[in-house]
Amino acid sequence: MDDYTIGVLTNAGLFAFIALSAYLLLLAGELSFGQQAFFGVGAYSGGMLTAMWGWPLPLAAAVAMLLGAIAALAVAVPTLRLRGLYFAMATLAAAELARIAFELLQWQVPVDGEATGPDGTQGFRGIRWVLESGIEPQTFLALIWAVLTAVLALFLALERSKLGATLRGIGEDPELAAALGIDVDRWKLGVAAAAGALAAMGGVLYAHHNTYIEPRNFDIMLGVHSLAYALIGGLGTAFGPLVGVLVDIGLLEGSRVFEGYRMIAFGGLVALLLVVRPRGLLDERVVQWLRNRFSSR
Amino acid sequence: MLADLVQNTLDGVAAGASYALIAVGFTLIFGVLRRANLSYGPAIMLGCYLATLAFQRQPALGALALAAIAIGGSVLAGAYVERLCFAPHRQGSAIAAMVASFAVWMQLEELATLALPRHVHAFPALYDGAPLQLAGFALRVESLAMLLAAGLACALLWWMLERTRFGLAVRAVIASPVAAELSGISVPRTFVRVFALASAIGGVAGFLVAASHEQVTPMMGMWFTLKGMLAMMLGGLGSLSGAVWGALALGLVEAHAQWFFGPQLRDLLIYALLFALLAAGPRWMITRSAS
Repeated sequence: MDDYTIGVLTNAGLFAFIALSAYLLLLAGELSFGQQAFFGVGAYSGGMLTAMWGWPLPLAAAVAMLLGAIAALAVAVPTLRLRGLYFAMATLAAAELARIAFELLQWQVPVDGEATGPDGTQGFRGIRWVLESGIEPQTFLALIWAVLTAVLALFLALERSKLGATLRGIGEDPELAAALGIDVDRWKLGVAAAAGALAAMGGVLYAHHNTYIEPRNFDIMLGVHSLAYALIGGLGTAFGPLVGVLVDIGLLEGSRVFEGYRMIAFGGLVALLLVVRPRGLLDERVVQWLRNRFSSR
Repeated sequence: MLADLVQNTLDGVAAGASYALIAVGFTLIFGVLRRANLSYGPAIMLGCYLATLAFQRQPALGALALAAIAIGGSVLAGAYVERLCFAPHRQGSAIAAMVASFAVWMQLEELATLALPRHVHAFPALYDGAPLQLAGFALRVESLAMLLAAGLACALLWWMLERTRFGLAVRAVIASPVAAELSGISVPRTFVRVFALASAIGGVAGFLVAASHEQVTPMMGMWFTLKGMLAMMLGGLGSLSGAVWGALALGLVEAHAQWFFGPQLRDLLIYALLFALLAAGPRWMITRSAS
Protein backbone atom coordinates (compact mmCIF):
# COMPACT_ATOMS: atom_id res chain seq x y z
CA MET A 1 0.00 0.00 0.00
CA ASP A 2 1.29 3.49 -0.79
CA ASP A 3 1.31 6.24 1.84
CA TYR A 4 -1.70 7.99 0.34
CA THR A 5 -3.93 4.92 0.54
CA ILE A 6 -2.77 4.27 4.09
CA GLY A 7 -3.61 7.87 5.03
CA VAL A 8 -7.11 7.71 3.50
CA LEU A 9 -7.94 4.36 5.10
CA THR A 10 -6.60 5.53 8.48
CA ASN A 11 -8.75 8.67 8.36
CA ALA A 12 -11.82 6.67 7.34
CA GLY A 13 -11.26 4.32 10.29
CA LEU A 14 -10.80 7.18 12.75
CA PHE A 15 -13.94 9.05 11.73
CA ALA A 16 -15.93 5.82 11.74
CA PHE A 17 -15.69 5.87 15.55
CA ILE A 18 -17.44 9.21 15.92
CA ALA A 19 -19.93 8.28 13.19
CA LEU A 20 -20.81 5.13 15.16
CA SER A 21 -21.11 7.26 18.27
CA ALA A 22 -23.68 9.52 16.56
CA TYR A 23 -25.41 6.42 15.16
CA LEU A 24 -25.81 4.86 18.60
CA LEU A 25 -27.59 7.99 19.84
CA LEU A 26 -29.77 8.13 16.71
CA LEU A 27 -30.91 4.57 17.46
CA ALA A 28 -32.04 5.76 20.89
CA GLY A 29 -33.92 8.59 19.12
CA GLU A 30 -31.53 11.39 20.00
CA LEU A 31 -29.92 13.86 17.63
CA SER A 32 -26.63 15.09 19.06
CA PHE A 33 -24.67 18.00 17.59
CA GLY A 34 -21.98 17.48 20.19
CA GLN A 35 -20.20 14.13 19.86
CA GLN A 36 -17.06 16.01 18.73
CA ALA A 37 -16.63 17.12 22.37
CA PHE A 38 -15.99 13.55 23.53
CA PHE A 39 -13.77 12.87 20.52
CA GLY A 40 -11.81 15.91 21.72
CA VAL A 41 -11.78 14.78 25.36
CA GLY A 42 -10.33 11.46 24.20
CA ALA A 43 -7.76 13.12 21.97
CA TYR A 44 -6.58 15.58 24.62
CA SER A 45 -6.59 13.25 27.64
CA GLY A 46 -5.06 10.30 25.77
CA GLY A 47 -2.43 12.52 24.18
CA MET A 48 -1.54 14.12 27.51
CA LEU A 49 -1.17 10.78 29.25
CA THR A 50 1.24 9.32 26.68
CA ALA A 51 3.15 12.48 25.72
CA MET A 52 3.43 14.20 29.11
CA TRP A 53 3.68 11.30 31.50
CA GLY A 54 4.88 8.48 29.28
CA TRP A 55 1.91 6.12 29.76
CA PRO A 56 1.56 3.27 27.30
CA LEU A 57 -1.16 3.87 24.70
CA PRO A 58 -3.53 1.02 25.69
CA LEU A 59 -3.71 2.23 29.29
CA ALA A 60 -4.09 5.86 28.19
CA ALA A 61 -6.88 4.81 25.80
CA ALA A 62 -8.74 3.04 28.59
CA VAL A 63 -8.57 6.10 30.86
CA ALA A 64 -9.52 8.40 27.97
CA MET A 65 -12.61 6.29 27.24
CA LEU A 66 -13.57 6.47 30.89
CA LEU A 67 -13.19 10.25 30.82
CA GLY A 68 -15.20 10.40 27.58
CA ALA A 69 -18.01 8.44 29.25
CA ILE A 70 -17.94 10.70 32.32
CA ALA A 71 -18.01 13.84 30.16
CA ALA A 72 -20.92 12.40 28.17
CA LEU A 73 -22.82 11.68 31.39
CA ALA A 74 -22.16 15.22 32.59
CA VAL A 75 -23.96 16.44 29.45
CA ALA A 76 -26.63 13.73 29.41
CA VAL A 77 -27.89 14.10 32.99
CA PRO A 78 -29.03 17.74 32.75
CA THR A 79 -30.41 17.23 29.22
CA LEU A 80 -32.34 14.04 29.94
CA ARG A 81 -35.74 15.72 29.55
CA LEU A 82 -34.92 17.55 26.31
CA ARG A 83 -36.17 16.39 22.92
CA GLY A 84 -35.46 17.16 19.29
CA LEU A 85 -33.93 20.52 18.49
CA TYR A 86 -33.71 21.46 22.20
CA PHE A 87 -31.50 18.43 22.81
CA ALA A 88 -29.47 19.11 19.67
CA MET A 89 -28.84 22.73 20.72
CA ALA A 90 -27.93 21.76 24.28
CA THR A 91 -25.37 19.24 23.03
CA LEU A 92 -24.02 21.85 20.60
CA ALA A 93 -23.65 24.36 23.45
CA ALA A 94 -21.85 21.74 25.58
CA ALA A 95 -19.50 20.88 22.72
CA GLU A 96 -18.65 24.53 22.09
CA LEU A 97 -17.96 24.88 25.83
CA ALA A 98 -15.57 21.95 25.56
CA ARG A 99 -13.86 23.50 22.52
CA ILE A 100 -13.35 26.81 24.33
CA ALA A 101 -12.06 24.88 27.36
CA PHE A 102 -9.45 23.27 25.07
CA GLU A 103 -8.54 26.80 23.90
CA LEU A 104 -8.02 27.85 27.51
CA LEU A 105 -6.14 24.70 28.49
CA GLN A 106 -2.44 25.44 29.01
CA TRP A 107 -0.51 22.77 30.80
CA GLN A 108 3.00 21.90 29.74
CA VAL A 109 5.66 19.79 31.40
CA PRO A 110 9.28 19.35 30.27
CA VAL A 111 9.80 16.08 28.40
CA ASP A 112 13.39 15.48 27.18
CA GLY A 113 14.09 19.19 27.70
CA GLU A 114 11.09 20.22 25.58
CA ALA A 115 7.90 21.80 26.92
CA THR A 116 5.17 19.29 26.03
CA GLY A 117 1.42 19.59 26.49
CA PRO A 118 -1.64 21.57 25.39
CA ASP A 119 -0.78 25.18 24.59
CA GLY A 120 -4.18 26.82 24.23
CA THR A 121 -5.07 27.95 20.72
CA GLN A 122 -1.53 27.05 19.62
CA GLY A 123 -2.58 23.43 19.87
CA PHE A 124 -0.87 20.38 21.32
CA ARG A 125 2.09 18.95 19.43
CA GLY A 126 4.48 16.10 20.04
CA ILE A 127 2.04 13.21 20.64
CA ARG A 128 4.67 10.78 19.38
CA TRP A 129 3.98 7.53 21.22
CA VAL A 130 3.29 5.62 17.99
CA LEU A 131 6.49 6.86 16.32
CA GLU A 132 8.65 6.34 19.39
CA SER A 133 7.36 2.81 19.89
CA GLY A 134 8.54 2.03 16.37
CA ILE A 135 5.04 1.27 15.07
CA GLU A 136 4.79 1.56 11.27
CA PRO A 137 1.85 3.52 9.78
CA GLN A 138 0.64 0.29 8.22
CA THR A 139 0.64 -1.46 11.58
CA PHE A 140 -1.21 1.43 13.20
CA LEU A 141 -3.78 1.28 10.38
CA ALA A 142 -4.25 -2.42 11.09
CA LEU A 143 -4.63 -1.66 14.80
CA ILE A 144 -7.31 0.99 14.14
CA TRP A 145 -9.30 -1.33 11.92
CA ALA A 146 -8.91 -4.20 14.38
CA VAL A 147 -10.42 -2.08 17.16
CA LEU A 148 -13.12 -0.90 14.76
CA THR A 149 -13.94 -4.48 13.78
CA ALA A 150 -14.28 -5.42 17.44
CA VAL A 151 -16.63 -2.46 17.98
CA LEU A 152 -18.66 -3.43 14.91
CA ALA A 153 -18.92 -7.02 16.15
CA LEU A 154 -20.22 -5.71 19.47
CA PHE A 155 -22.80 -3.58 17.63
CA LEU A 156 -23.95 -6.50 15.48
CA ALA A 157 -24.29 -8.72 18.54
CA LEU A 158 -26.22 -5.95 20.29
CA GLU A 159 -28.58 -5.47 17.37
CA ARG A 160 -29.42 -9.14 17.16
CA SER A 161 -30.12 -9.35 20.88
CA LYS A 162 -33.12 -8.29 22.91
CA LEU A 163 -31.13 -5.24 24.06
CA GLY A 164 -31.01 -3.95 20.50
CA ALA A 165 -34.78 -4.28 20.13
CA THR A 166 -35.27 -2.42 23.42
CA LEU A 167 -32.97 0.35 22.21
CA ARG A 168 -34.85 0.80 18.94
CA GLY A 169 -38.12 0.69 20.86
CA ILE A 170 -36.96 3.58 23.05
CA GLY A 171 -35.89 5.48 19.95
CA GLU A 172 -39.21 5.03 18.21
CA ASP A 173 -41.57 5.65 21.11
CA PRO A 174 -40.13 6.42 24.56
CA GLU A 175 -43.59 6.69 26.17
CA LEU A 176 -44.59 3.26 24.93
CA ALA A 177 -41.25 1.83 26.09
CA ALA A 178 -41.77 3.33 29.53
CA ALA A 179 -45.29 1.92 29.64
CA LEU A 180 -43.84 -1.52 28.91
CA GLY A 181 -41.76 -1.23 32.07
CA ILE A 182 -38.45 -0.16 30.52
CA ASP A 183 -36.42 2.30 32.59
CA VAL A 184 -35.97 4.78 29.74
CA ASP A 185 -33.86 7.26 31.72
CA ARG A 186 -31.32 4.65 32.73
CA TRP A 187 -31.10 3.39 29.17
CA LYS A 188 -30.58 6.87 27.79
CA LEU A 189 -27.78 7.58 30.24
CA GLY A 190 -26.15 4.25 29.47
CA VAL A 191 -26.31 4.91 25.74
CA ALA A 192 -24.88 8.42 26.20
CA ALA A 193 -21.96 7.07 28.25
CA ALA A 194 -21.22 4.33 25.73
CA ALA A 195 -21.39 6.79 22.83
CA GLY A 196 -19.07 9.16 24.71
CA ALA A 197 -16.54 6.38 25.35
CA LEU A 198 -16.71 5.31 21.71
CA ALA A 199 -16.07 8.85 20.45
CA ALA A 200 -13.20 9.20 22.96
CA MET A 201 -11.64 6.00 21.63
CA GLY A 202 -11.66 7.49 18.14
CA GLY A 203 -10.17 10.69 19.57
CA VAL A 204 -7.24 8.91 21.24
CA LEU A 205 -6.34 7.15 18.00
CA TYR A 206 -6.82 10.37 16.03
CA ALA A 207 -4.40 12.28 18.30
CA HIS A 208 -1.78 9.55 18.05
CA HIS A 209 -2.10 9.29 14.28
CA ASN A 210 -1.79 13.05 13.70
CA THR A 211 0.73 13.73 16.55
CA TYR A 212 -0.72 17.29 16.59
CA ILE A 213 -4.20 18.41 17.66
CA GLU A 214 -5.77 21.83 18.11
CA PRO A 215 -9.14 22.99 19.49
CA ARG A 216 -10.41 23.79 15.97
CA ASN A 217 -10.29 20.07 15.09
CA PHE A 218 -13.25 19.55 17.42
CA ASP A 219 -15.68 22.20 16.17
CA ILE A 220 -19.28 21.76 15.08
CA MET A 221 -18.22 20.74 11.54
CA LEU A 222 -16.92 17.43 12.89
CA GLY A 223 -20.13 16.84 14.83
CA VAL A 224 -22.47 17.49 11.92
CA HIS A 225 -20.27 15.45 9.60
CA SER A 226 -20.52 12.45 11.91
CA LEU A 227 -24.32 12.81 11.95
CA ALA A 228 -24.34 13.00 8.16
CA TYR A 229 -22.16 9.87 7.91
CA ALA A 230 -24.53 7.94 10.17
CA LEU A 231 -27.59 9.09 8.25
CA ILE A 232 -26.40 8.58 4.66
CA GLY A 233 -24.96 5.16 5.45
CA GLY A 234 -28.25 4.15 6.95
CA LEU A 235 -29.93 3.57 10.28
CA GLY A 236 -30.63 -0.12 9.69
CA THR A 237 -27.27 -1.55 10.70
CA ALA A 238 -23.97 -0.53 12.26
CA PHE A 239 -22.36 -0.99 8.83
CA GLY A 240 -24.31 2.14 7.79
CA PRO A 241 -22.04 4.74 9.44
CA LEU A 242 -19.02 2.89 8.04
CA VAL A 243 -20.50 3.09 4.54
CA GLY A 244 -21.14 6.82 5.10
CA VAL A 245 -17.52 7.46 6.07
CA LEU A 246 -16.21 5.38 3.17
CA VAL A 247 -18.42 7.25 0.67
CA ASP A 248 -17.06 10.62 1.78
CA ILE A 249 -13.46 9.96 2.73
CA GLY A 250 -12.80 6.85 0.68
CA LEU A 251 -14.67 7.57 -2.54
CA LEU A 252 -14.57 11.34 -2.87
CA GLU A 253 -11.32 12.23 -1.16
CA GLY A 254 -9.57 8.99 -2.03
CA SER A 255 -10.40 8.95 -5.74
CA ARG A 256 -9.21 12.55 -6.25
CA VAL A 257 -11.67 12.82 -9.17
CA PHE A 258 -13.54 15.72 -7.59
CA GLU A 259 -10.46 17.68 -6.55
CA GLY A 260 -11.62 21.21 -5.71
CA TYR A 261 -15.29 20.20 -6.11
CA ARG A 262 -15.39 17.53 -3.43
CA MET A 263 -17.83 19.34 -1.15
CA ILE A 264 -20.13 20.24 -4.04
CA ALA A 265 -20.15 16.59 -5.10
CA PHE A 266 -20.53 15.20 -1.56
CA GLY A 267 -23.21 17.73 -0.60
CA GLY A 268 -25.26 17.14 -3.73
CA LEU A 269 -24.92 13.38 -3.37
CA VAL A 270 -26.09 13.43 0.25
CA ALA A 271 -29.04 15.77 -0.37
CA LEU A 272 -30.25 13.73 -3.37
CA LEU A 273 -29.71 10.44 -1.56
CA LEU A 274 -31.83 11.63 1.37
CA VAL A 275 -34.68 12.48 -1.03
CA VAL A 276 -34.78 8.87 -2.20
CA ARG A 277 -33.73 7.21 1.04
CA PRO A 278 -34.50 9.42 4.06
CA ARG A 279 -33.10 6.81 6.47
CA GLY A 280 -29.92 6.17 4.51
CA LEU A 281 -28.62 3.57 2.09
CA LEU A 282 -28.82 0.63 4.49
CA ASP A 283 -32.13 1.43 6.15
CA GLU A 284 -34.22 -1.01 8.18
CA ARG A 285 -36.08 -2.35 5.14
CA VAL A 286 -32.93 -3.16 3.18
CA VAL A 287 -31.37 -4.81 6.21
CA GLN A 288 -34.49 -6.91 6.80
CA TRP A 289 -34.53 -7.95 3.15
CA LEU A 290 -30.86 -8.94 3.30
CA ARG A 291 -31.46 -10.84 6.51
CA ASN A 292 -34.37 -12.77 4.98
CA ARG A 293 -32.29 -13.70 1.94
CA PHE A 294 -29.57 -14.95 4.24
CA SER A 295 -31.76 -17.02 6.52
CA SER A 296 -33.81 -18.65 3.72
CA ARG A 297 -30.74 -20.43 2.41
CA MET B 1 -16.76 53.14 33.82
CA LEU B 2 -20.36 54.28 33.49
CA ALA B 3 -19.55 55.80 30.12
CA ASP B 4 -18.15 52.43 29.00
CA LEU B 5 -21.28 50.66 30.16
CA VAL B 6 -23.45 53.04 28.15
CA GLN B 7 -21.23 52.65 25.09
CA ASN B 8 -21.32 48.84 25.44
CA THR B 9 -25.09 48.92 25.74
CA LEU B 10 -25.28 51.02 22.60
CA ASP B 11 -23.01 48.60 20.73
CA GLY B 12 -24.96 45.66 22.13
CA VAL B 13 -28.27 47.01 20.90
CA ALA B 14 -26.77 47.63 17.45
CA ALA B 15 -25.42 44.07 17.32
CA GLY B 16 -28.74 42.82 18.69
CA ALA B 17 -30.54 44.57 15.82
CA SER B 18 -28.49 42.60 13.28
CA TYR B 19 -29.10 39.38 15.20
CA ALA B 20 -32.81 40.21 15.27
CA LEU B 21 -32.99 40.39 11.48
CA ILE B 22 -31.11 37.10 11.19
CA ALA B 23 -33.16 35.40 13.90
CA VAL B 24 -36.51 36.56 12.49
CA GLY B 25 -35.69 34.95 9.14
CA PHE B 26 -34.50 31.75 10.80
CA THR B 27 -37.56 31.63 13.05
CA LEU B 28 -40.01 32.21 10.17
CA ILE B 29 -38.70 29.10 8.44
CA PHE B 30 -38.61 27.11 11.68
CA GLY B 31 -42.07 28.26 12.78
CA VAL B 32 -43.74 27.31 9.52
CA LEU B 33 -41.79 24.22 8.47
CA ARG B 34 -40.92 22.90 11.97
CA ARG B 35 -37.49 22.17 10.52
CA ALA B 36 -34.12 23.76 11.28
CA ASN B 37 -32.49 25.11 8.13
CA LEU B 38 -28.75 24.85 8.70
CA SER B 39 -28.17 26.31 5.22
CA TYR B 40 -29.92 29.55 6.17
CA GLY B 41 -26.63 31.32 6.94
CA PRO B 42 -24.62 29.90 4.03
CA ALA B 43 -27.35 31.02 1.58
CA ILE B 44 -27.02 34.57 2.94
CA MET B 45 -23.23 34.27 2.75
CA LEU B 46 -23.48 33.32 -0.92
CA GLY B 47 -25.65 36.39 -1.56
CA CYS B 48 -22.95 38.55 0.06
CA TYR B 49 -20.30 36.84 -2.07
CA LEU B 50 -22.23 37.63 -5.25
CA ALA B 51 -22.43 41.27 -4.17
CA THR B 52 -18.68 41.27 -3.45
CA LEU B 53 -18.00 39.74 -6.87
CA ALA B 54 -20.12 42.47 -8.50
CA PHE B 55 -18.31 45.13 -6.48
CA GLN B 56 -14.90 43.81 -7.58
CA ARG B 57 -15.96 43.86 -11.25
CA GLN B 58 -17.79 47.21 -11.01
CA PRO B 59 -16.39 49.29 -8.13
CA ALA B 60 -18.73 52.11 -9.14
CA LEU B 61 -21.82 50.17 -8.01
CA GLY B 62 -23.72 51.94 -5.24
CA ALA B 63 -24.88 50.52 -1.93
CA LEU B 64 -28.45 50.02 -3.16
CA ALA B 65 -27.32 47.96 -6.16
CA LEU B 66 -25.07 45.83 -3.95
CA ALA B 67 -27.89 45.34 -1.45
CA ALA B 68 -30.21 44.24 -4.27
CA ILE B 69 -27.63 41.70 -5.49
CA ALA B 70 -27.05 40.37 -1.95
CA ILE B 71 -30.79 39.99 -1.35
CA GLY B 72 -31.41 38.47 -4.78
CA GLY B 73 -28.55 36.02 -4.36
CA SER B 74 -29.74 35.04 -0.91
CA VAL B 75 -33.28 34.41 -2.19
CA LEU B 76 -31.99 32.35 -5.14
CA ALA B 77 -29.77 30.24 -2.88
CA GLY B 78 -32.67 29.91 -0.44
CA ALA B 79 -34.93 28.68 -3.25
CA TYR B 80 -32.34 26.03 -4.14
CA VAL B 81 -32.17 24.93 -0.48
CA GLU B 82 -35.96 24.75 -0.25
CA ARG B 83 -36.32 22.65 -3.43
CA LEU B 84 -33.54 20.22 -2.57
CA CYS B 85 -33.79 19.89 1.22
CA PHE B 86 -37.25 20.83 2.40
CA ALA B 87 -39.84 20.28 -0.33
CA PRO B 88 -39.03 16.53 -0.60
CA HIS B 89 -39.17 16.05 3.19
CA ARG B 90 -42.34 18.07 3.81
CA GLN B 91 -44.18 15.07 5.23
CA GLY B 92 -41.14 13.05 6.18
CA SER B 93 -38.21 13.11 8.51
CA ALA B 94 -37.08 16.36 10.13
CA ILE B 95 -33.63 14.89 10.69
CA ALA B 96 -33.23 14.00 7.01
CA ALA B 97 -34.19 17.57 6.04
CA MET B 98 -31.72 19.03 8.51
CA VAL B 99 -28.85 16.79 7.41
CA ALA B 100 -29.68 17.58 3.76
CA SER B 101 -29.51 21.30 4.58
CA PHE B 102 -26.10 20.67 6.12
CA ALA B 103 -24.97 18.89 2.96
CA VAL B 104 -26.04 21.89 0.88
CA TRP B 105 -24.17 24.16 3.32
CA MET B 106 -21.00 22.31 2.24
CA GLN B 107 -21.91 22.99 -1.39
CA LEU B 108 -22.60 26.70 -0.91
CA GLU B 109 -19.41 27.18 1.06
CA GLU B 110 -17.26 25.55 -1.61
CA LEU B 111 -19.10 27.50 -4.31
CA ALA B 112 -18.22 30.74 -2.52
CA THR B 113 -14.53 29.83 -2.23
CA LEU B 114 -14.47 28.82 -5.90
CA ALA B 115 -15.99 32.18 -6.89
CA LEU B 116 -13.57 34.22 -4.77
CA PRO B 117 -10.56 32.12 -3.81
CA ARG B 118 -8.74 33.99 -1.06
CA HIS B 119 -10.15 33.77 2.43
CA VAL B 120 -11.13 37.37 3.21
CA HIS B 121 -12.47 39.95 0.75
CA ALA B 122 -13.10 43.63 1.31
CA PHE B 123 -16.69 44.84 1.23
CA PRO B 124 -17.50 48.57 0.89
CA ALA B 125 -18.70 50.33 4.01
CA LEU B 126 -21.94 52.32 3.82
CA TYR B 127 -20.28 55.50 4.92
CA ASP B 128 -16.61 56.47 5.00
CA GLY B 129 -16.62 59.24 7.59
CA ALA B 130 -16.25 59.10 11.35
CA PRO B 131 -19.02 57.61 13.53
CA LEU B 132 -21.83 59.89 14.62
CA GLN B 133 -21.41 61.50 18.03
CA LEU B 134 -24.39 61.40 20.36
CA ALA B 135 -23.75 63.21 23.64
CA GLY B 136 -20.21 61.89 23.67
CA PHE B 137 -21.05 58.35 22.57
CA ALA B 138 -20.08 56.95 19.20
CA LEU B 139 -22.67 55.37 16.94
CA ARG B 140 -21.60 54.01 13.58
CA VAL B 141 -23.71 54.84 10.55
CA GLU B 142 -23.92 51.10 9.79
CA SER B 143 -25.29 50.45 13.28
CA LEU B 144 -27.92 53.14 12.76
CA ALA B 145 -28.85 51.59 9.41
CA MET B 146 -29.07 48.20 11.11
CA LEU B 147 -31.40 49.53 13.81
CA LEU B 148 -33.60 51.23 11.21
CA ALA B 149 -33.65 48.15 8.97
CA ALA B 150 -34.48 45.84 11.86
CA GLY B 151 -37.27 48.11 13.08
CA LEU B 152 -38.68 48.52 9.59
CA ALA B 153 -38.46 44.80 8.84
CA CYS B 154 -40.24 43.91 12.08
CA ALA B 155 -43.01 46.44 11.43
CA LEU B 156 -43.43 45.25 7.84
CA LEU B 157 -43.46 41.63 8.92
CA TRP B 158 -46.05 42.33 11.61
CA TRP B 159 -48.23 44.05 9.03
CA MET B 160 -47.84 41.18 6.58
CA LEU B 161 -48.62 38.50 9.15
CA GLU B 162 -51.53 40.28 10.81
CA ARG B 163 -53.12 42.23 7.98
CA THR B 164 -52.74 40.31 4.70
CA ARG B 165 -54.20 37.11 3.31
CA PHE B 166 -50.68 35.72 2.98
CA GLY B 167 -50.13 36.36 6.68
CA LEU B 168 -53.38 34.64 7.53
CA ALA B 169 -52.26 31.61 5.54
CA VAL B 170 -48.90 31.60 7.31
CA ARG B 171 -50.51 31.78 10.73
CA ALA B 172 -52.97 29.04 9.80
CA VAL B 173 -50.13 26.76 8.65
CA ILE B 174 -48.20 27.45 11.87
CA ALA B 175 -51.26 26.61 13.97
CA SER B 176 -52.11 23.41 12.07
CA PRO B 177 -50.90 22.38 8.62
CA VAL B 178 -53.69 19.84 8.29
CA ALA B 179 -56.48 22.29 9.12
CA ALA B 180 -54.89 24.87 6.82
CA GLU B 181 -54.79 22.38 3.96
CA LEU B 182 -58.44 21.44 4.56
CA SER B 183 -59.55 25.07 4.44
CA GLY B 184 -58.04 25.46 0.98
CA ILE B 185 -54.62 26.93 1.78
CA SER B 186 -51.82 25.50 -0.33
CA VAL B 187 -49.24 24.46 2.25
CA PRO B 188 -46.39 23.90 -0.24
CA ARG B 189 -46.93 27.34 -1.77
CA THR B 190 -46.93 28.92 1.69
CA PHE B 191 -43.65 27.15 2.43
CA VAL B 192 -42.04 28.52 -0.72
CA ARG B 193 -43.22 32.08 -0.03
CA VAL B 194 -42.10 31.96 3.60
CA PHE B 195 -38.73 30.67 2.47
CA ALA B 196 -38.38 33.52 -0.03
CA LEU B 197 -39.44 36.10 2.57
CA ALA B 198 -37.04 34.73 5.20
CA SER B 199 -34.19 34.63 2.69
CA ALA B 200 -34.88 38.24 1.67
CA ILE B 201 -34.78 39.37 5.32
CA GLY B 202 -31.59 37.37 5.72
CA GLY B 203 -30.17 39.05 2.63
CA VAL B 204 -30.82 42.49 4.12
CA ALA B 205 -29.07 41.40 7.31
CA GLY B 206 -26.21 39.89 5.32
CA PHE B 207 -25.64 43.06 3.32
CA LEU B 208 -25.65 45.25 6.45
CA VAL B 209 -23.37 42.90 8.40
CA ALA B 210 -20.92 42.70 5.48
CA ALA B 211 -20.95 46.51 5.16
CA SER B 212 -20.39 47.02 8.87
CA HIS B 213 -17.61 44.38 9.10
CA GLU B 214 -16.29 45.72 5.75
CA GLN B 215 -15.38 42.20 4.67
CA VAL B 216 -16.82 38.85 3.67
CA THR B 217 -15.44 35.39 4.50
CA PRO B 218 -16.81 31.87 3.94
CA MET B 219 -17.10 31.62 7.75
CA MET B 220 -20.02 34.06 7.63
CA GLY B 221 -22.33 31.18 6.74
CA MET B 222 -21.76 29.39 10.02
CA TRP B 223 -21.85 32.71 11.88
CA PHE B 224 -25.33 33.60 10.53
CA THR B 225 -26.76 30.15 11.23
CA LEU B 226 -25.35 29.99 14.76
CA LYS B 227 -26.46 33.51 15.73
CA GLY B 228 -29.91 32.89 14.27
CA MET B 229 -30.32 29.61 16.15
CA LEU B 230 -28.93 31.03 19.39
CA ALA B 231 -31.23 34.04 19.35
CA MET B 232 -34.23 31.90 18.43
CA MET B 233 -33.44 29.46 21.23
CA LEU B 234 -32.89 32.20 23.82
CA GLY B 235 -36.21 33.79 22.89
CA GLY B 236 -38.25 30.62 23.08
CA LEU B 237 -38.47 28.37 20.07
CA GLY B 238 -40.50 29.45 17.08
CA SER B 239 -41.95 32.76 18.31
CA LEU B 240 -41.11 35.83 16.23
CA SER B 241 -41.32 38.37 19.06
CA GLY B 242 -39.33 35.98 21.22
CA ALA B 243 -36.64 35.84 18.54
CA VAL B 244 -36.35 39.65 18.57
CA TRP B 245 -36.00 39.73 22.37
CA GLY B 246 -33.58 36.81 22.28
CA ALA B 247 -31.50 38.63 19.67
CA LEU B 248 -31.35 41.84 21.72
CA ALA B 249 -30.43 39.87 24.85
CA LEU B 250 -27.71 38.05 22.90
CA GLY B 251 -26.29 41.32 21.55
CA LEU B 252 -26.30 42.98 24.99
CA VAL B 253 -24.79 40.04 26.88
CA GLU B 254 -22.12 39.67 24.19
CA ALA B 255 -21.16 43.34 24.19
CA HIS B 256 -20.84 43.56 27.96
CA ALA B 257 -19.14 40.17 28.36
CA GLN B 258 -16.64 41.07 25.66
CA TRP B 259 -15.72 44.29 27.46
CA PHE B 260 -15.44 42.63 30.86
CA PHE B 261 -13.89 39.27 29.97
CA GLY B 262 -12.62 39.31 26.36
CA PRO B 263 -13.86 37.36 23.33
CA GLN B 264 -13.02 33.80 24.48
CA LEU B 265 -14.85 34.05 27.79
CA ARG B 266 -17.67 35.93 26.04
CA ASP B 267 -18.39 32.85 23.91
CA LEU B 268 -17.94 30.59 26.92
CA LEU B 269 -20.51 32.63 28.84
CA ILE B 270 -23.03 32.59 25.96
CA TYR B 271 -22.87 28.82 25.52
CA ALA B 272 -22.94 28.19 29.29
CA LEU B 273 -26.01 30.44 29.51
CA LEU B 274 -27.73 28.61 26.66
CA PHE B 275 -26.94 25.20 28.14
CA ALA B 276 -28.10 26.20 31.61
CA LEU B 277 -31.32 27.73 30.25
CA LEU B 278 -32.10 24.67 28.14
CA ALA B 279 -31.39 22.33 31.05
CA ALA B 280 -33.51 24.39 33.45
CA GLY B 281 -36.24 24.65 30.80
CA PRO B 282 -38.17 27.76 31.81
CA ARG B 283 -41.73 27.83 30.51
CA TRP B 284 -41.19 30.72 28.09
CA MET B 285 -38.37 28.80 26.49
CA ILE B 286 -39.78 25.31 26.15
CA THR B 287 -43.06 26.25 24.54
CA ARG B 288 -43.59 23.95 21.63
CA SER B 289 -42.63 20.42 20.73
CA ALA B 290 -39.78 20.52 18.27
CA SER B 291 -38.82 17.13 17.02
